[in-house]
Amino acid sequence: MKKKALSILLATVLTFTMLTGCGKTEETADDQTTTEATDEAEVTETEPEAEAQKDVTIKTVSMFGGTDPNAEVYQQIIADFQTTYDYITVEDNSQSSDEEWKASVAADFSVGNEPDVLQFFTDATANQIVATDKFVSIEEIHAEYPEYAQDTMGTALEAAKNTDGVQRAVPTTGYWEGLFCNKDLFDQYNLALPTDFASLKTAIETFNENGIVPIAVSLNNVPHYWVEFSLLYAAGPEGYEAVPETAPADWVRGLEFVKTLRDLGAFPVDTDTVDNEYVGSLFKSKQAAMQLDGSWFLGGIEDQENTVVIAFPGMDDQKAEAGSIVGGISSGFYITRKAWEDPDKRDAAVKFVMAQTSQEAVQKYWEKGGAVGKAAVEVTPVEGMTNLALSALAYTNGATALCAPTDSRIDPEAYKTIIAGIVKVSTGGSAEDLLNEALAINNDRK
Amino acid sequence: MLYKKKWPLLIFVVPGLVFLFVFLYLPFVENIKNSFFDMTGVVEMPGSPWKFIQFDNYKKLFSDETIAIAIGNSFRMMGLTVVFEVGFAFILAVLVNNIRKGQQIFRTVFFFPIVISATAIGLLFKLFYNYNGGMLNQILKSLSLDPVNWLSPELAFLMICIPTLWSYVGFYFVILLTGLTNISDDIYEAADIDGCSKFKQVFYLTIPMMRPVIVTCVTLAVTGALKVFDLPWVIAANGAPQGLTHFLGTYMYQVTFGMNNYDYGSTIAIVIVVMGVVVSRLVHIIFRDEKKEVGR
Amino acid sequence: MIKSKISIGKIVIYLILILWAITTIFPFIWVIVNSFKPSAEVLTSSFSLPKEFTWDNYTNAFSKLKIANAYKNSLLISGTVTVGVISVSTMMAFALTRYEFRGKKIIESMLVASLMFPVFSTIIPVFRLMSITDLLNSNWAVILPQIAGNLSFATIVLIGFLKSIPIEMEEAAYMEGANVFQVFLKIIIPLSKASISTVAIFSFLWSYNDLFVQKIMIKDNTKYPIASLLEEISSKYGTDYGLMASSVTLIVVPVLFVYIFLQKNIMKGLTAGAIKG
Repeated sequence: MKKKALSILLATVLTFTMLTGCGKTEETADDQTTTEATDEAEVTETEPEAEAQKDVTIKTVSMFGGTDPNAEVYQQIIADFQTTYDYITVEDNSQSSDEEWKASVAADFSVGNEPDVLQFFTDATANQIVATDKFVSIEEIHAEYPEYAQDTMGTALEAAKNTDGVQRAVPTTGYWEGLFCNKDLFDQYNLALPTDFASLKTAIETFNENGIVPIAVSLNNVPHYWVEFSLLYAAGPEGYEAVPETAPADWVRGLEFVKTLRDLGAFPVDTDTVDNEYVGSLFKSKQAAMQLDGSWFLGGIEDQENTVVIAFPGMDDQKAEAGSIVGGISSGFYITRKAWEDPDKRDAAVKFVMAQTSQEAVQKYWEKGGAVGKAAVEVTPVEGMTNLALSALAYTNGATALCAPTDSRIDPEAYKTIIAGIVKVSTGGSAEDLLNEALAINNDRK
Repeated sequence: MLYKKKWPLLIFVVPGLVFLFVFLYLPFVENIKNSFFDMTGVVEMPGSPWKFIQFDNYKKLFSDETIAIAIGNSFRMMGLTVVFEVGFAFILAVLVNNIRKGQQIFRTVFFFPIVISATAIGLLFKLFYNYNGGMLNQILKSLSLDPVNWLSPELAFLMICIPTLWSYVGFYFVILLTGLTNISDDIYEAADIDGCSKFKQVFYLTIPMMRPVIVTCVTLAVTGALKVFDLPWVIAANGAPQGLTHFLGTYMYQVTFGMNNYDYGSTIAIVIVVMGVVVSRLVHIIFRDEKKEVGR
Repeated sequence: MIKSKISIGKIVIYLILILWAITTIFPFIWVIVNSFKPSAEVLTSSFSLPKEFTWDNYTNAFSKLKIANAYKNSLLISGTVTVGVISVSTMMAFALTRYEFRGKKIIESMLVASLMFPVFSTIIPVFRLMSITDLLNSNWAVILPQIAGNLSFATIVLIGFLKSIPIEMEEAAYMEGANVFQVFLKIIIPLSKASISTVAIFSFLWSYNDLFVQKIMIKDNTKYPIASLLEEISSKYGTDYGLMASSVTLIVVPVLFVYIFLQKNIMKGLTAGAIKG
């Protein structure tokens, strides 16, 4: 049994990491190369160091801070790094990411106070900073350090390219989003896990009759997941990944799906006022049956045996194939031009990024994340997976398409306009006006 | 004589002026400037310049439904603060001033809600209002009634106003009570001898004598109402439900930090200040006129 | 004052006052009682006394939420703000009441106008200033704008009070050879103690309770002051009501003590300030 799980896992990880952009899954998983790759990685890691070295201090900033589980791994790698290279001092200032933090990182770049190494988003969020041309491209680094980012798979580097198509960041892990279900509740009321809109509707109606919140979501606080999946399934991968100038009919239909669900009574009565953590606890305490969330939600679920992740059930007249997934790799380590042009720091910064993105390091990040996310290198599976983790693997394994969410493509202000308007759309506001307003902002910024 | 030499002024005034300029006036001037640009971030980055958009943000004020709600709510809040905070505080102050025993206790206890942060009070009321397991619904349940969604679109504004008003009564109570204790007892005694009832004394003696203090309180209440932020934000962020409980303060916060529309946020800030100045002028004009009439 | 015996009027007065007092006291009793219950019990029966009395919520709060650290941050911030506001505003008020100079009227009206500035209107440029000077996430990023924010209120209250201090004492001291600074330190400050404590307490309270500036300036959750921490608790442990209750208690109780101790001074100080209205 365990053996089987392991091989599924291995195959999945490989398959999954091959998916880039919104391409169809290519069923070409080939697990023969894993061992070789791992060995190679270890060789480069233990490369002997040059003797007498000038002391150097590098400033680093990452979003592996606060309560992020990655923070622990990140700090451990820094500690090990400083032991290995005793002439390098790392001054780290990491925080978990939020709006004000992003703004302050941008502010640092604007006044020439940028760090030497930055772990940051690679999608549209980074556009403003990328525009300052203060990051060094991987191509440029490769010219001098051919071994740079060598463990990282080409597909992962490609997934983590900036919106202008240039690869600058070296990623560690990615994420996916999916529908978490309390399977025991479905069993209790003799319901099948939803596979299409009809069965979803039945489930919603049955749960409603029995006083269970069908879908835990705070439309006021975090409607993001529903927005993404509704747009994806209404428009299909191509329509979803396009950045239109005005609201396409499919997008409008997508947002209106949220209203359809609301009218069915799928959401908590107080979905307009509660926050995301509160609805999360409704789900975890079995007061709610379903919750659409990201891979990071998995670790916090206590009942790992009766909770499962399944594909988005879909809607009427959907354009996406069943099994389409929202997810991707959207962050990585950048080296700034400031460090690159300083002869002392250049080498230290390169070594630092390599230490953080080596096979060994990414393996740790991946395991810390529950070993169900998406890794940028070839990872070795872990043992003793829970039901929930296995279902997550089955889910990602069955992916028919993988798409990065909308906020990776459009301007943050435009995206947030959509998010802030969802409650209104769900209560009868015009989805078309909202999308047009947001897209107009996006057009202005291009 | 002592204050003939002017040079010590530098030492006394300059630190305060520096604070005023650096943290209040210069930012405000910059804020005015920002409202005419399309800000791509909190700071202008090389590579993504800000576009000069003239009066676009000001035009937007007139088409934005939410700001209309926010202004409406802020004005309603002003009215409510004057009536319920200042008015009720005045009644309490008069009552407390009329008793001997326990005056000190009431003075202390009535001030409690000010001492506690708006965040804590917000949290408390959130526990009262929660649909699943909140205090109010527990009461309903024990009476075997159906639970109520206390923050539904119909109820939310009221439910947010209650704690906001309640928590600041004590502040005006203290100020008004201090004013009352300064009115000499002799005046009341004279009135008693003339056979003037307690009730009449309040109208013919207390209110006229307290006019300056009352004006201060009304001005503070009205401008304070424009700045309301903490409590509504903790109880229902983003003007939830459906933006119906937005005040100018909460809406500006959401626009600026929730939606990254920094320039429009700056514009709303200007609206707040302009309204504050206008309204506090109005308060003074209204009260001055009345005074003249009384004087006739 | 009329000295009637127990009249119906008096009973009604006491009734009203007691009812209001209940509304101001009840919430805190409710929170304190619930802070000693397991979370599940808070949900089912929040009105009864705890069935099983537990300190868990408190040990939890200390371990999970670094409350001790947040206290330290809050006290540091609010303490510094208080000292800063007092020193700057007393000096300003002193200058504005004792000196005649050009621009005095302008400064006075600037003070009054800045009372109108909501913190929202200045926060973005100040945020920018803080990020440029690399003060973001440090206590100074909260302290400096808060001093400025409380300055106008404080100066206006103090002007009202200083005006009522007769100038003769100062002149007399001057005759005996004291200079302006000695007069300020030895006469003005001791005489305005009550008023200064009013300003101090309000500055402290407003700084301690000011979520907005804290939230924007300090993003690093290891450096959170109390108000930010509380907000985080409410979002992160949204349904752990026991923990929430204990945190509220922990935050509120010390301030209540400070207030009760200093209450007498507040009353005196406000008397002086408010009358000038």
